[in-house]
Amino acid sequence: MTWLVWRQHRIQFLVGAALLAAFAVLIVITGVQVANQYHAAQMACAASHACRNQGGLFLGSHAVGFLIISTLGAPALVGLFVGAPMVAAEAEAGTTQFAWMQSVTRKRWLTVKIGWMLLAAAIWGGAISALVTWWEGPNNALQLDAFDPGRFDIMGVVPVAYSLFAVALGIAAGALLRRVLPAIAVTLAGFIAVRALIILLLRPHYMNAVTVFYKVTSGFTPPGSYWSLASGVVGPNGQQLAQPNNINYIDGVPASYLPAACTQVSRGAFTPPPSCTQALSHFRAFLTYQPADRYWTFQGIETGIFLALAAILIAVTAVALLRRDA
Amino acid sequence: MISFRIDGHSVVPPYLQIVQQVRQALRMGLLDVGDQLPTVREVVSATAINPNTVLKAYRDLEREGLIEARAGHGTFVRRRPPGPPPGTHARLGRGLARWVREAREAGLDDESIESLLRVTLRAAAEEEIA
Amino acid sequence: MIPMHEVPGNALPGPAAIETTGLTKRYGKVTALSGCTVSVPEGRICALIGPNGAGKTTLLRLLAGLSRPTAGQVTVNGTTPRQDPAFLADIGFLAQEIPLYRRLSAEDHIRVGAHLNPRWDAESVRERLTGLKIPLDRAVGKLSGGQRAQVALALILAKQPRLLLLDEPVAALDPLARRNFLGLLADAVAADGLTVVLSSHLVADLERVCDHLIMLASSRVQLCGDLEELLAEHRILIGPRKDTTAIERSHRVVQINRTPRQTTLLVRLNGPVADPAFEASDVSLEELVLGYMGQDAPSEPAQLTTVGEEQ
Repeated sequence: MTWLVWRQHRIQFLVGAALLAAFAVLIVITGVQVANQYHAAQMACAASHACRNQGGLFLGSHAVGFLIISTLGAPALVGLFVGAPMVAAEAEAGTTQFAWMQSVTRKRWLTVKIGWMLLAAAIWGGAISALVTWWEGPNNALQLDAFDPGRFDIMGVVPVAYSLFAVALGIAAGALLRRVLPAIAVTLAGFIAVRALIILLLRPHYMNAVTVFYKVTSGFTPPGSYWSLASGVVGPNGQQLAQPNNINYIDGVPASYLPAACTQVSRGAFTPPPSCTQALSHFRAFLTYQPADRYWTFQGIETGIFLALAAILIAVTAVALLRRDA
Repeated sequence: MISFRIDGHSVVPPYLQIVQQVRQALRMGLLDVGDQLPTVREVVSATAINPNTVLKAYRDLEREGLIEARAGHGTFVRRRPPGPPPGTHARLGRGLARWVREAREAGLDDESIESLLRVTLRAAAEEEIA
Repeated sequence: MIPMHEVPGNALPGPAAIETTGLTKRYGKVTALSGCTVSVPEGRICALIGPNGAGKTTLLRLLAGLSRPTAGQVTVNGTTPRQDPAFLADIGFLAQEIPLYRRLSAEDHIRVGAHLNPRWDAESVRERLTGLKIPLDRAVGKLSGGQRAQVALALILAKQPRLLLLDEPVAALDPLARRNFLGLLADAVAADGLTVVLSSHLVADLERVCDHLIMLASSRVQLCGDLEELLAEHRILIGPRKDTTAIERSHRVVQINRTPRQTTLLVRLNGPVADPAFEASDVSLEELVLGYMGQDAPSEPAQLTTVGEEQ
């Protein structure tokens, strides 16, 4: 049975391996350069004691950076081109009739096939994630944005779970629809929809966010790579202030709320007059965020969610193929 | 070795066609005592008829005493059906061919020849009874 | 070296390769097969005949275990069809579309079979296909329809099943390919005592190679039994235009054709034909099939009663 799976998916495997290899070569070569750039910059800034203001520095070429961002779609690829055709292509060609009339039961056929597909998906997602995480090490240290949506999704463990989910979704779509193109379309739409929904609606709430209020004049930045969910300024009456564009702000407070004294300042060292300081003290800023030390907990929770979804989809596939008439 | 030709459209059932073809081959001298008959598998491969048909034919021939099965070796001709020696058939066949040529030159078609033959056979049979 | 097969016509009942009782299959509101009760003894080559939509493919799939009955019992090789390697190893099913992996070669298919079946005679496939001059290393999608059918059959036989279920396997073959195919089948039956059920529209082929018959029409069984016996039980009666009530009472009339001067009946005999005005002649398989397929009454062998003359 394993031999059959290999023989049927030989080309897919070789193409995937080639893509991974090419990607790995590119990432390793440029990643070494990025690491060198980083070390050089660190040595330079250490000498001039200016290591705190490196937020604007981006390491590596923009082309490779773009490729890295696009690995967001890598898990979907395995769902579309490996998962969706697995059952659908055979159903369309009728070759399931051939396979199921050899002495292997449908259950064993499905188990072995799904097993290898899942393994391939995990390796695909894991390898890409490992390479990306390594390459982005220096940038993560500088930008501290690893927890942000878009960055969170391409590093760590979650890409493995996304890949497993994508391939399980593809297989289920193929088993239910029994035609390749519709299965691919449904897999793509489903993958995007589920991922978007989870990022927007669920991920912010895996654990209760922390909200900190602080004086507008002080400023507050949590340590490490935190995930900012919401921020703003609250007025004396406790109401959050609207913060439209195209108006002046002093310390985040719209100038219209403040006495004239606050606006009569020039750039550079700003020592506000006592009346201004007084007025500002009635305003408070807040930041709602997920602290950096929760990063791996969140990775774990999201991995668990997608693994559970994958398991459900596989159960659906099993029912669709084993309970119904062939 | 003899090869059988089964006519699916004939009124004669296939097993009887085999029996007749064996008998005819023996009369004509195409099959001789001690010759081996094709195996059931060889016959059905060539003619695409049911194996049981061949078995039935061979059993009938065995019952008549014309053939015998030797375990592990095959089926062989045991003796010839009663009748004139093989040469007779060949000689009469040649005479018949000459007559047919004559009949054709006289303008008879196959159908007329066949019905003439039938009538003659019937008349001869009646003569024998009488 | 004549093996001890049953001789048709005076056969003792052997073990049944297939037995069904009241087998019914419904897809939603559509009834594909209704109350099908048949029996096929081992070692037979059984013809499965019927018009399109009569339920032939449905019956074959139920026998193979590819679908499950809505009602009724089915026993194949002594057990209910099931997802079990031992059961699957003993049957071979060839669907009408000849499902093979188009991009794999015959040799690849041989390897697949070797991996997936407990008994596998790879050499027999290579021998047969080489004998037919079919290349073993070309993708089967590039072979002709006839060659693909030969590959599929050789693969199914390599499995050494006890029962072979073939759904219109010769439909797309030219006459020579058909002859080769059926010869291959007959040879396998002679060699291994295999049982075959074969659905087809080509009656001439079936009459030659089959010794058992199942006829379906309108999703029901019309006839099931030894082919020679069934043919012997039927007659075509030809006679003048007259009252046929007596005949209809004594025998089962399958079809009546009346012209202004002549009446032709296809009957299943229940004793001798008493009416001397009618000449009885033997029935060919084709006439039998046409007769049963042409009737519009359903399967119950009702005694038709006509009072006086009809038209």
